[in-house]
Amino acid sequence: MDKLIYCLLLAKSNHAKPETTLNSLKGVKEAGLVAVEYHNISAIISDVTEKQFIANKQHAVEFALVIDQLAQNYTLLPMRFGSMMDSADSVMEMLERNEVEIEDSLKKVKNKWEYGLKVLCDREKLKEELTAKKDNDTLNFVKPEIGSNNSVYKAYVLKKLNEHRAEEQILSFVDSILVEIKIYLQELKAVDKYKKMTNETTIIDAVFLLDKKKKKEVINMVKDLQQKHLQLNFLLTGPWPPYNFVELNLK
Amino acid sequence: MSNNKILCNTGTVDLSIQDISKEVDKLINSEESKLKLTPENADSGLAKLVLTLVELIRKLVEKQAMRRVDGGSLSDDEIERLGETLMKLEMKMEELKKYFNLTDRDLNINLGPLGDLM
Repeated sequence: MDKLIYCLLLAKSNHAKPETTLNSLKGVKEAGLVAVEYHNISAIISDVTEKQFIANKQHAVEFALVIDQLAQNYTLLPMRFGSMMDSADSVMEMLERNEVEIEDSLKKVKNKWEYGLKVLCDREKLKEELTAKKDNDTLNFVKPEIGSNNSVYKAYVLKKLNEHRAEEQILSFVDSILVEIKIYLQELKAVDKYKKMTNETTIIDAVFLLDKKKKKEVINMVKDLQQKHLQLNFLLTGPWPPYNFVELNLK
Repeated sequence: MSNNKILCNTGTVDLSIQDISKEVDKLINSEESKLKLTPENADSGLAKLVLTLVELIRKLVEKQAMRRVDGGSLSDDEIERLGETLMKLEMKMEELKKYFNLTDRDLNINLGPLGDLM
């Protein structure tokens, strides 16, 4: 029977062996969980037939819950949802082949949580605010450059140019917010990854990894940022297992 | 799990948790951004894919052109011709979207964790 792999964890730590925790947990489709151990590392797996396994929201949540609960007590590397191998022996061989890399990756995330920070805004409102803020209004500024006797085509270019400049203004505003966030994160010695303008409302989508003891500091950081930028929404989530910081190519 | 994972969500922007979960649902289902190719709609399914790529390229060209206009390196005549070209391209795209019954939203494919295409 196929095995669904939830995560890889450090089996020997100050905590009890994973089995104790696993007895109180259920996997996808209420399957029992088992630890496949190899030296210091373990893979947490459950039985699953490919027919049973459907990639839907419910299964994804069940999968994430197992990882989330184990992460409370263990240093772990979450596996991608749907990672499967054909037997426990194959899982064991995989651990054997990748032992060094897995241990190295586990060391990097030891005693660390991941947090997510989304900066959201009403982009049209922000565009208006930024344009109004500028001393030289973009519209007034552009007209003389192209000439006063504008044809339809020149007027079209003018309109597009204004839109382009407004977008550029937003981008430089986003960059300035990002710099602020990075300064805070540097103080907290966090490792970060971010994306800009991912959709209509999200201008920054960042994740960062930092010491488990620094939860309060992160919350304070977001409160500070919020006070400085009332036109933005800061959505902080976590603590999460290090979903975005596993850089491991299993052989 | 989801509720107690939100540590901080304050601000004056009218974006409720419902808005956010709508976004999440969109990501999970993302029906809008899926290419539904069946024998019955092969034409429009393919048209969506092709027009998405054309629109992406058109926007990139437009962006580059605006950079050049902004940089002041184009003459009046060049701006005139550029305006005509860009305008006609936009009008042609509108025509094609209308013909295949597509909206701007249809062409802005959601790339999951990478965000929207445009």
